[in-house]
Amino acid sequence: MSTNAKVSAAAEAEAEAEVVCVQLMLGLVLPLPLTLFIAHNLYSINLLSHPSLTLSLISVIQCPIVLLLYGRLRKNRKHCSYLKAVGRGLLGLPIGALVNALGAIALGAPVGTQYFSQTLNWSLMMSLFTIVPAATVFGSSWKDWQRIFAHTKPMGSVDLIICLPAHGAVIGAWFGAWPMPLDWERPWQEWPICVSYGAMVGYLVAMVASFGCVAVRARLQHVKRE
Amino acid sequence: MERWWRWRSGSEKWVPWLILLLHIVSILIFTRGFLLTRTELPFYSHCSDASQSPCFSSSSSSNSSRCWTKPAIDRLVIIVLDALRFDFVAPSTFFEESKPWMDKLKVIQRLASERGSSARIFKAIADPPTTSLQRLKGLTTGGLPTFIDVGNSFGAPAIVEDNFIHQLVQNGKRVVMMGDDTWTQLFPDHFKKSFPYPSFNVKDLHTVDNGCIDHLLPTLYEEDWDVLIAHFLGVDHAGHIFGVDSTPMIEKLEQYNAILEKVIEMLESQSGPGGIHENTLLLVMGDHGQTLNGDHGGGSPEEVETSMFAMSFKKPILSIPYEFHTPTCEQDLDGKKFCISSIQQLDFAVTMTALLGVPFPYGSIGRVNADLYGLVADTLNLEDARLENCQNQSKLEQWMQNYVNVLCINSWQVKRYVDVYSASSVIGFSHEDLLQIADIYAQAEENWSHTKKSLLDKNECCDSLLPALKRQIDLYVNFLTSVAELARSKWTEFNLNMMGIGFGIMLVSLLIHFLAIKRVNKQYGASFTSRGDSGISFGLICACFVVIIRASSFLSNSYILEEGKVANFLLATTGFVKLRYSIMKKKMLLEAVVFVLLITFCRFSIEVGLSKQAATSQFLNESTSLMTSIASGLPSWTLIAKVVPLLVLILLAYLLYKTISSRSCKGIWKYVIMGTILSYLLIAVHWASESSIRSLALVSNVIGRNCIPQIIYTIGFGQLLLLAFGWQFNKDKFFDGKENLVIKTIGMLSAWSSVVILLSGQQGPLVALASIIGGYCIVRLDNIEQDAKDNICDVSAVDPLSVTQWNLLAVCLFFCTGHWCAFDGLRYGAAFIGFDEFILIRQAILLTIDTFGFSHILPIFGLPFLVACQYMLSQKRFILVRLSQAYMMYGLITAATVTVTMLCVTIHRRHLMVWGLFAPKFVFDVVGLILADVLICLASLFCFGQVEDDVPKS
Repeated sequence: MSTNAKVSAAAEAEAEAEVVCVQLMLGLVLPLPLTLFIAHNLYSINLLSHPSLTLSLISVIQCPIVLLLYGRLRKNRKHCSYLKAVGRGLLGLPIGALVNALGAIALGAPVGTQYFSQTLNWSLMMSLFTIVPAATVFGSSWKDWQRIFAHTKPMGSVDLIICLPAHGAVIGAWFGAWPMPLDWERPWQEWPICVSYGAMVGYLVAMVASFGCVAVRARLQHVKRE
Repeated sequence: MERWWRWRSGSEKWVPWLILLLHIVSILIFTRGFLLTRTELPFYSHCSDASQSPCFSSSSSSNSSRCWTKPAIDRLVIIVLDALRFDFVAPSTFFEESKPWMDKLKVIQRLASERGSSARIFKAIADPPTTSLQRLKGLTTGGLPTFIDVGNSFGAPAIVEDNFIHQLVQNGKRVVMMGDDTWTQLFPDHFKKSFPYPSFNVKDLHTVDNGCIDHLLPTLYEEDWDVLIAHFLGVDHAGHIFGVDSTPMIEKLEQYNAILEKVIEMLESQSGPGGIHENTLLLVMGDHGQTLNGDHGGGSPEEVETSMFAMSFKKPILSIPYEFHTPTCEQDLDGKKFCISSIQQLDFAVTMTALLGVPFPYGSIGRVNADLYGLVADTLNLEDARLENCQNQSKLEQWMQNYVNVLCINSWQVKRYVDVYSASSVIGFSHEDLLQIADIYAQAEENWSHTKKSLLDKNECCDSLLPALKRQIDLYVNFLTSVAELARSKWTEFNLNMMGIGFGIMLVSLLIHFLAIKRVNKQYGASFTSRGDSGISFGLICACFVVIIRASSFLSNSYILEEGKVANFLLATTGFVKLRYSIMKKKMLLEAVVFVLLITFCRFSIEVGLSKQAATSQFLNESTSLMTSIASGLPSWTLIAKVVPLLVLILLAYLLYKTISSRSCKGIWKYVIMGTILSYLLIAVHWASESSIRSLALVSNVIGRNCIPQIIYTIGFGQLLLLAFGWQFNKDKFFDGKENLVIKTIGMLSAWSSVVILLSGQQGPLVALASIIGGYCIVRLDNIEQDAKDNICDVSAVDPLSVTQWNLLAVCLFFCTGHWCAFDGLRYGAAFIGFDEFILIRQAILLTIDTFGFSHILPIFGLPFLVACQYMLSQKRFILVRLSQAYMMYGLITAATVTVTMLCVTIHRRHLMVWGLFAPKFVFDVVGLILADVLICLASLFCFGQVEDDVPKS
């Protein structure tokens, strides 16, 4: 009985994950370019001219989408309401931003008052890409965090759509930093423009990849069930 | 089994030596092809030398008043416009299309067009490296300065070779200089008057120029000088910042046009008979060109081609026909024929000295340029009254005869230089080349003696002389040209074959290195992937990735410039990878976090170092303002900066004290470490006295200042001797291998550390502490895997990621201590701690210890920690196998980066930054590699000392 219930619950979660994944695709993959587009045309700002403004605009638009969509994937549904999930996601935002900012500074991001707002907005965006989804879904479950970020062994669709985009964003940002020291003297070589581009590209690619993985998994399970 | 072990361990022992040998051979061959070296000769030309030349026949030696040549001009005004491109001066009709920056120096073009016989534009061709300092050196010495001019100028840029300015001063000419302060660095006490302005601030377009303008015209009215040099920098700086096609550049050129108009007007007004500029030559010249981006340094036509405008204010009697050269002629803007001749910068010094009548610089290999020489009227007024008899002899013939005379002296001087150079320098010219040159010279001389005879003999039929003179000129020119060509091939052209061979040997050594590591792995049944776990192979992939990325980053000049930051970035990346591990294993989280924090600390101190680099090497950076504002902050800050190093030093001493008291360390090792503690205390006393003594008596200061460091050096040397003694005679068989190794390593490190810290100055203890913490973290984090495995497989490969981290940390420490890969990055002050006078070898050793102390000596001698602290249960021989593995990996990582640096300098050998950036990087890397190899050999010798004695018995 109980195993049956568990299986059904798991299957339900899988199904839910698939649905949410589609929504995520629409809700996360599209807004990023859309935000840049809107920013460029409506407010006539872009990453080059107003990096921190654009980044904060991205964060503002992304934040509710991420929280609301990932909130639906929360673990331990019985003990955790939708609101609580969103709440812990919100709590995770500044913490994740701090972690990302410290990591960037250790890697050599410029420090100084004139860079403060850029670094802040960049790390908020990175936090939305990496920490916030995990915080919303897992809360303070150390085991899940460890599985996702240390072992990188995602199990199930939910793990996949948290783990892959987060790693994609981080790796993208890492590679995005490489053109910075070159002496081409282009405006986009400034901190944090190319790093943000790298992070966004990595995020989007990983998001599409995770969507693909989830779709393949669903197809396989479908076949298995039949 | 025993025998096998013996054989194997023996063969393993010579692998480092073999690698060292291969590296040395490879680097020597590569360097012969790449780094062109020249020896500076300490000889000077004197007026009296000329009597040794065959050019003055006894009959004409009556002229005691003249030196080598008869002075043709009285005063010389040289206006140097830095980075003056050829197309700034030449009319735009000479180029395919007219660009906005052309035809801006109108006054020059007008004069050259109107007075073709006394004013002329030259295309001056410089030799690479086209950096201002090398060019000024080339211009004044008439030689080809190379990247490494072996000479007496250690650290100081002052020119010690014979040169134009030196000859002027020697012969009583008064020189006035204004503008770029490079001149005063090159010639510290040659100028009668100088108005130097700082040249290093590229962003400042006007200070130097305005300074020049303020002093130029007033000085022109004065009579107390013979040669005036005004060096304008605006065009160079405008090019560096805005590029050639920019309004600041055009404004600068227009400004110069206005100044030149004024100068020429003034000179003209004073050029009448009896005027102070009656016999003055004006030169407006560039020292090198620049690319459209404003860069220079390399050998591209844009950088090499500059221009020279010469104008004599005395009407010449005849115009020298274009027989001695092939000028390029075009229609100028008004449709008139406009000719531009060309001149090698090499010829500048000798032509000017010939005109001013002073001896040619000893090392000059140029020839007196006919056009420039002929521009001046007085070169025609021969003193030989005899020639007046010959009424029908054309003036041209007179001039040619005079010119042949000058060329004769010129050839004799060049021949003398070539002979002396090959005799006295280490790498002279090849024998065949010398023979060939001697042949050409003998031929010319022989011909000249015939011609001279006919000159003396003839009385009326002068017509026949013209072809003979022309032939003579051709012979001399041929000789001088072939010498210049030979010198160019020797001093400015790379030998690609040699570079290729050197690089090939390097690749072979890498292969041997790799195979040796493989073999050791195989023989002990351990391989990187044998664990079955993805962890180790991930470490290998990670290590390879980091090493490859770091190596390939050297292919771009920007990454070399920011090498410290790149190394730090990669180190931080590996730090995060380790942090991820430690989260995975839920172990040693503290160490991982401390390590990342330490890297962050390193990063800031690297930035401080880079800001120093930016300040000295003209690559100005915006991000430096923060650091400087901190450094020049509150007075309490300086107090903290003084006290903290002392406290850290005492902490280090305390750590060592704990080591000797806790470990069962005996005999020699104990004394060594105690010596180090004593040294630390002495260093503390030394610094304390240095900071406070300024108010006290100076006498005790001088004694104390030198005495304490010398004691420390002595102690350090004694410790090393003791260690060598212990290695030779003291076979401690009481300890197990690991314990023994740790003690040995601590002893070795502590013996070096005191000297290294002393030389590094106040930052020394902090960096030492940082490296101890960093090393400790790496060692601890390396244990994550092993502890998790419960020591199942005892014999396993060293984690390559840890060795890579060790190496990266060493690189970071190099930059943390305020070094960078350039010769102005050497801390010359460190060489004089404890000594006042300069002895090359002693100071070079100190400088090497300072430069490579934290980045090579300490990390390599400390590498055994990585192995020794790893296993709780372990047999000695396994430890030693792992140790040799670790050393080989370390060597491989270092060698791999150096190989890519070699590849990079080969690719970029014509890059404009090759002398400014790639070559110094190459020299530092190569020296570092050889040093690392030697240290690895010594360290393995030191650590493996007892293996052969112990193992067969065990």
